[in-house]
Amino acid sequence: LHIHILAESVRASLMLSSLQAMAKDPLADAGLHFDELNKLRVLDPEVAQKTTELKEECKEFVEKIGQFQKIVGGLIELVDELAKEAETEKMKAIGARNLLKSVAKQRESQQQQLQALIAEKKMQLERYRIEYEALSKVEAEQNEFIDQFILQK
Amino acid sequence: MRLKTSLLKEPKHKELVSCVGWTTADELYSCSEDHQIFKWNLLTNETTQVVKLQDEIFPIDLHWYPKTAGGKKQTQAEICVLTSTDGKFHLVSKSGRIEKSIEAHRGAVLAGRWNYDGTALVTAGEDGQIKIWSKSGMLRSTLTQQGTSVYSVAWGPDSDKILFTSGKQLIIKPLQPSAKVIQWKAHDGVILKIDWNSVNDLILSGGEDCKYKVWDSYGRLLYSSSSHDYPITSVAWAPDGELFTVGSFNTLRLCDRTGWSYALEKPNTGSIFNIAWSVDGTQVAGACGNGHVIFAHVVEQRWEWKNFEIILSKRRTMQVRNVLNDAVDVLEFRDRVIKASLLHGHLVVTTSLQCYVYSTKNWNTPLIFDLKEGTVSLILQAERHFLLVDGAGIYLFSYEGRLISTPKFPGLRTDTLNSQTISLSNDTIAIRDKADEKAVFLIDALSGKPLGDGKSLLHKMEIMEIALDQYGSANERKLALIDKNRDLYIALVRRFGRDQKIIKIGTMVHTMAWNDSTSMLCGIQDTQFTVWYYPNVVYVDKDLLFKTLYTKDASDFSRSPHILNYVANQVTIRRSDGSLVYTNISPYPDILHEYVNCSRWDDAVRLCRFVKEQTLWACLAAMAVANKELITAEVAYAAIGEVEKIQYINMMKDLPSKESFLAYVMLFSGNVQDAEGILLRAGLIYQAIQVHINLFNWDRALELAVKHKTHVDTVLAHRQKYLENFSKKETNKRFLQYSEGVEVDWEKIQAKIEMEISKERERSALASSTTTLRSSLPSRQ
Repeated sequence: LHIHILAESVRASLMLSSLQAMAKDPLADAGLHFDELNKLRVLDPEVAQKTTELKEECKEFVEKIGQFQKIVGGLIELVDELAKEAETEKMKAIGARNLLKSVAKQRESQQQQLQALIAEKKMQLERYRIEYEALSKVEAEQNEFIDQFILQK
Repeated sequence: MRLKTSLLKEPKHKELVSCVGWTTADELYSCSEDHQIFKWNLLTNETTQVVKLQDEIFPIDLHWYPKTAGGKKQTQAEICVLTSTDGKFHLVSKSGRIEKSIEAHRGAVLAGRWNYDGTALVTAGEDGQIKIWSKSGMLRSTLTQQGTSVYSVAWGPDSDKILFTSGKQLIIKPLQPSAKVIQWKAHDGVILKIDWNSVNDLILSGGEDCKYKVWDSYGRLLYSSSSHDYPITSVAWAPDGELFTVGSFNTLRLCDRTGWSYALEKPNTGSIFNIAWSVDGTQVAGACGNGHVIFAHVVEQRWEWKNFEIILSKRRTMQVRNVLNDAVDVLEFRDRVIKASLLHGHLVVTTSLQCYVYSTKNWNTPLIFDLKEGTVSLILQAERHFLLVDGAGIYLFSYEGRLISTPKFPGLRTDTLNSQTISLSNDTIAIRDKADEKAVFLIDALSGKPLGDGKSLLHKMEIMEIALDQYGSANERKLALIDKNRDLYIALVRRFGRDQKIIKIGTMVHTMAWNDSTSMLCGIQDTQFTVWYYPNVVYVDKDLLFKTLYTKDASDFSRSPHILNYVANQVTIRRSDGSLVYTNISPYPDILHEYVNCSRWDDAVRLCRFVKEQTLWACLAAMAVANKELITAEVAYAAIGEVEKIQYINMMKDLPSKESFLAYVMLFSGNVQDAEGILLRAGLIYQAIQVHINLFNWDRALELAVKHKTHVDTVLAHRQKYLENFSKKETNKRFLQYSEGVEVDWEKIQAKIEMEISKERERSALASSTTTLRSSLPSRQ
């Protein structure tokens, strides 16, 4: 796009310099010219044509520049948006990274909590084990008593 | 047992919750640093903002005015004390209106507590001062002033002492200025919270060293927990003193009074800064650091009796399992279960409004009656009836739901009664006096009136634990008691005007329990587990006491175990780490008791021959003498080789009358006074004098002789003979005085004695021909 616009502007400036060269014939020196329809013209019809052309081309150029500006504006907006998005993504990434770090910590504390609960359960298990042992002992004693009783009878 | 916790999804308070307090069993107030006070109604699950305090009030502590203050009962607490960081405390009504704001301390007021009767208020401040205020907020005194902030303060059970923290130390200071202050180092870090229970008189403390500890009121350490991950920020006793809760960061723990932990919860609460038990002791609320208020209620309590196992599976549901056939019954209740007890074939359950009585034979149709006041704090069961204790009084009900009596005694305060200080049997209720801990009130169960002359039983030491035996006639009712020295004593409850004899039967006894069906007593003596097969032996033949004991090494039970019950032949013991241990006891003594109770003496002797155990023989000997069954006694004494006693029994066989026989049985047990009384009442003056002569009780013998103007010469003669034998001279003035005018003539005396004895014989023969005597003696003569 840039190159195209540059070429156009170069062409326009070349045209201007050739117009100045052509105005050097006698009528022309008086500043009068005829056009194709033989009407008197103050300006060399060639120049006039060129001027119109130039005018048109300038108009086109301005349009193109306007278009260019619009496009560039859109581009800038887009880039800005992209930048914003990148920023949020970056923040997200940082957040995620932190979260990850804290999850590790959380897990640790969770682990700690579970460990405490396990310790509690272990203690309960130990209590049950002792109770079971005591009951087994009672059972053994009772069996022994029954055996003895039967023997004595 | 465990805690079932509930937390809302989103915290109601915006800042940390600093304190909570219950007004009724279902209504809680919570204060937070966002200046709001919320009211939580648990029945409707509604939470309403009561008031938004001024911005400069940051609440720290809240305590509702006690419900049963000053003898008057209120259904609801009406006013509370709210302390704040600006150095003031505020009296706040239920509607949230600040009735009064009082400038109390420099810096924050860290704690405020009403005493038990609501007559005084104590506040503790960051400035290290402790101040006592009247109910209306007038400053009474500044109790103490120290260099460090006082983080927590608690009243003693009688509201006459204050416990407070001082850095790492705990201090008990009586209100009386001259009384002794107890102070001890309790923790390795700053102590943050303390509580003192009025029922069991135990102290609880938690601190920055991440430990919680249980102390008795003398500052002796009973339990110290292992170190937690975070500082202990709150501790609280349940109202009945059986449980307590401990709060820390993300931690809520339910513990037994002996310190071991029933259950641990790890809710997402942040630090729990304050814990409060509801009045009925079924649920707790905690003030959480993240703005939550956590609620937790106690479920899965267990009761066991013989082949039944009952679990409180939900708040209103119980599951009964019969272990023999695995049959499961589910009991549903309309309201929350508050207390339950399973013994003697009956389950008694109290809810907030009603009492349910189930028989173990039929779980379908309970007997239901309404309760006057909701919160029953204690249920005691005997074979024939049960006792309910609530905030207002003590009620005795039959298992048919009939109100039998409402025992009353001076200084009745039901909030301090626990199973150690009140005991029930079929005919008697014993209650330790709160005001004088050396005394025990004895109340007739059926009438609710004091027993006998209405005097309470007095011991020489403070009594720690009492228990009545469960079997036998009312006249033989015995009270076992453990005093402050941990000595075990036994006393007859019905003494009929006789002097109270409290006899020591054991030392270093930490815990004891009577058998549920016979009068056997078990206990843990120092390191020995001991069963007193026949405690009554001390009233019969004290020498036999040690022969009737069964002992066993108690090292299995670890340090300071507690006997839960003694049902049939099994003793259930709770070790200090919380595990249950069972131990078996030989069934023979039980059978022997049964035989003796039905007077089947031959069977009893046969049983002893079969078992061949000295202890059993000794029991039988004592039982036989107690029942005046001389033939059996002779056999039993022979078996344990007590020759002199057989001789004495043989001598008794030749006694001329029933009265003197009775008297000699009394003498056998060492009751000289009773023996003398029996003889004098029967007019057998000579026998009474002879008794004293035999015992070398010269003064009393002479006194009797002179008083009744007979046998003075007999006394003098025996005295003379005695002095001659020991080649001593008479020094007793009275004897010198009487011997002057009296001539000693042995022949005459012998004749007189002969005459007395024959006279007695004649008389008893006459009596036995007219009435049929139940005693075996006259038939033998």
